[in-house]
Amino acid sequence: MTTISLAFSLALGLITVLAFLGLPMGLAMICGSVLYLLMRGQDPGIVAEQFLNGMYSNYIMLAVPLFILAAEIMNSGTLSDRLLKWCDALVGRFRGGLAQVNVLQSIVFAGMSGSAVADAAGSGKMMQHMMTQNDKYTPSYAAALTAVTAVIGPIIPPSIPMVLYALVADTSIGYLFLGGVVPGLLMAGFMMVQIAITARVRDFPVEEPVPLRKLPRMTWEALPVLFMPIVLMYGIYGGITTPTEAAAVAAAYALLVSAVVYRAVKAPDLYQSVLTSAKTTASIGMLIAGALVFNYVVTVENIPRTISAILISWDLNPITFLIIVNIILLILGCVLEGTTILLVIVPVLIPTAQALGIDMVHFGVVAVVNIMLGLITPPYGLLLFIMTRISGSPMKHIIGDVMPFLWTLIGALILFTFVPETVLWLPKLFGYVPGGAGL
Amino acid sequence: MSPPLRNAGRWLYARAENLLAAMLATMFVVFIVQIVFRYLLNLPIGWTHEISVVMWLWMVLFGTAFVVRDSEEIRFDILYGAVGPRVRRAMVLASSLTLVVLFAISLPAVIDYILFMKVERTAYLKIRFDYLYSIYGIFAVAMIVRQLYLAWQAAWGRGADDFDHSKVSSGV
Amino acid sequence: QDNPTLRFSAVFSEQDIRAEMMSLMSSQVAEIATIETYLGGNLFKQGTELVALQRGNLEMGNIAPQDISNQIPAWSVLTSAYLFRDADHLRTFFNSDVGAEFKAMAEEQLGIYILGPTYFGARQVGLITENKINTPEDMAGIKLRMPGGDAWQFLGTAIGANPTPMAYAEVYTGLQTGAIDGQDNPLPNVENMKFYEVMKQIALTSHLVGFDLLVINKASWDAMSPEQQEAFQAAADVAIDFSQQEHLAREAELAERFKSAGLDVYTPDLDAFRAFAQQKYLESELAKDWPEGIVDRINAL
Ligand code: NA
Ligand code: NA
Repeated sequence: MTTISLAFSLALGLITVLAFLGLPMGLAMICGSVLYLLMRGQDPGIVAEQFLNGMYSNYIMLAVPLFILAAEIMNSGTLSDRLLKWCDALVGRFRGGLAQVNVLQSIVFAGMSGSAVADAAGSGKMMQHMMTQNDKYTPSYAAALTAVTAVIGPIIPPSIPMVLYALVADTSIGYLFLGGVVPGLLMAGFMMVQIAITARVRDFPVEEPVPLRKLPRMTWEALPVLFMPIVLMYGIYGGITTPTEAAAVAAAYALLVSAVVYRAVKAPDLYQSVLTSAKTTASIGMLIAGALVFNYVVTVENIPRTISAILISWDLNPITFLIIVNIILLILGCVLEGTTILLVIVPVLIPTAQALGIDMVHFGVVAVVNIMLGLITPPYGLLLFIMTRISGSPMKHIIGDVMPFLWTLIGALILFTFVPETVLWLPKLFGYVPGGAGL
Repeated sequence: MSPPLRNAGRWLYARAENLLAAMLATMFVVFIVQIVFRYLLNLPIGWTHEISVVMWLWMVLFGTAFVVRDSEEIRFDILYGAVGPRVRRAMVLASSLTLVVLFAISLPAVIDYILFMKVERTAYLKIRFDYLYSIYGIFAVAMIVRQLYLAWQAAWGRGADDFDHSKVSSGV
Repeated sequence: QDNPTLRFSAVFSEQDIRAEMMSLMSSQVAEIATIETYLGGNLFKQGTELVALQRGNLEMGNIAPQDISNQIPAWSVLTSAYLFRDADHLRTFFNSDVGAEFKAMAEEQLGIYILGPTYFGARQVGLITENKINTPEDMAGIKLRMPGGDAWQFLGTAIGANPTPMAYAEVYTGLQTGAIDGQDNPLPNVENMKFYEVMKQIALTSHLVGFDLLVINKASWDAMSPEQQEAFQAAADVAIDFSQQEHLAREAELAERFKSAGLDVYTPDLDAFRAFAQQKYLESELAKDWPEGIVDRINAL
């Protein structure tokens, strides 16, 4: 087994320094890779080769821009608002009703979108307004709740991080998506229970009940939105679309509903949605490409094999390994952006997980849940930043209200880690053979 | 900068945005065409796949080169956001010059690779890969110019990018 | 002086028979060179190894003939349906004078030296439908997944099917949900990817003898002394023989296993398929680039 070379250490050091200096991560990884190739006397043109061929050959990544577009269209075309109103009519009547609305809204939204940031950014403003008017809830509690509930967005399918995981782990997207359903619903369920308990303790308000006779009509009006998760899942598991194509269907469906059914999208708004999505695509794509380029260096240095050899020599059992992985990912989640962890750190751990016989779908869902928790762990939690901006509430107050939920979610993570069936039960029902080769 | 020059710059930037948005729109439309052809018309086609992959590649490189601002890129901005303007300027100077040096040294090799790819063509539309991959060369040059400009601004005391954690893009 | 290090990149996995082939090869040439293997397409993506070899970023590879035909159109004949009868015929070809002409083309135009063809199984049609396939006419309207690209799609047409491009990783779900009616892959791949779980029948069409080429770039080859070259070639032959035997044995074993798993495994009218396919190819654009009378010369071997 090779030892780690000076060139690799310097490249890694350079990437870290450049990242700290504030250079975009993708560019930092390209710079580090150039340095490595120069020091090893190799052709620096390999950087372009790996970037271009890596991006050109990974078809499944095309789901990423399309899911981003779908979420953008949903948020611009009042779909999110209608969904909120329907949730309010349904569960607003209970104690802590609006808090429960926040969870329910995220469950449905999760079924159509693959991104947590899209959920918080899309529904955050309206939710904040509803929850804080007449001082029903403190601004920080409302903001914390929106951040926490948004976490389940990419755990319930569809999911952008799972698409990226499928890419690095060579696993079936279809089964990964199924693997997230039960964990996502369990997490939402735990949140609802926690809210119900807090509601009694803190005496949360009850909403003016929407008369039940109005419910059918509101449901009818929200139906096109509620139908969307079903359309997507039927597309994927009914043999019409591949998971990648389902992303395009999601965008098309959102566009159809907003523009034709609700008549809520105007051409300039649509252009803005497309442009914003394209920009987001460019910056995520840059990070993905940077990771692909740096992956060449990691491969040449045999890093995953070396780490795998070390970890296996410690005689770890799968459970201990998974615990270590959870701890590492949770800590990294406090300081790093999720995609970076997924594309740079997770691939290094995969060979060990495979050698220990850990199922790749189980491992993927556990990793994605970890990365999602990283979005709400201070100091660097993207959802915390977004909600601070939307709510105007100081971040430390939001963090204070996030904490109790964070402990619950870590509890859920432990459950998924120790009971693989929570993840694998549904994929197995659809014919998945755990530990079998990818599709 | 003189007003006419600035106006021209704005005009160009808006056109670059149009182009970037058009790439995503094309990818989207082509995907729908592909599904319709296979599922509704029972006429599977493959060239659509090629167009969408090309759009994806160009969107990332063209977008990063000409449209996306540094403050919208995915980056690690804890330190960047926490320090004062003087330190931040020094940080920008250091990182941008490092990038310029490394990109400049590797540029000849990068261009050599792109030119070499004239020997390959895409599977359906038979597009020469050197044309297709030329966008990387454009990207590399644009990055050198952009980072030089940032370094120059930082050196002469103009404020570096403002920071707002929540503006950063994310894949999750 | 230290032995040169030869980087080898391929898309097959560590569990593949060809991974064993490479370790057999490495151990035999340990005196001459150190072969560093990178598998699973981790170093260079599928289809990009050839350019990496040409540019000196890679010394050895397992290259698909389809990749060579991208740059040398005459080579496309070696990727046509029903050209080689079986693995032995394939080997005979590469050891013949005609084979030498093709190897010379690659050496002169691409700067790679071909050590030999690595057989990985004959492609067979596997379907989720019930109706038996006997002739190409029975394939009409069947959505058969083929790898992307004109050349591969044409192969599907040449056996009478309605070819559908789809990413390899999506084939299992595609079969399961009925987005496609079938796929064509060698039996070991069908086993690896568990396609057999969602298929009803396998028609042993053997329409394409699947092989890659074990190659070394010319610079590394020319750096060896004639004795070293001879030893290196001998080691490659042993490794290739081993891999071919293993694959043939595995194919036979898998055909039996799929049968006992309840699949209908049978041989259709191969003469009808061969006539249909060779006709299609000779009428196609592709054949314009083929050397005069090449199909007859190879048939005669
Ligand atoms: Na929510
Ligand atoms: Na989701």
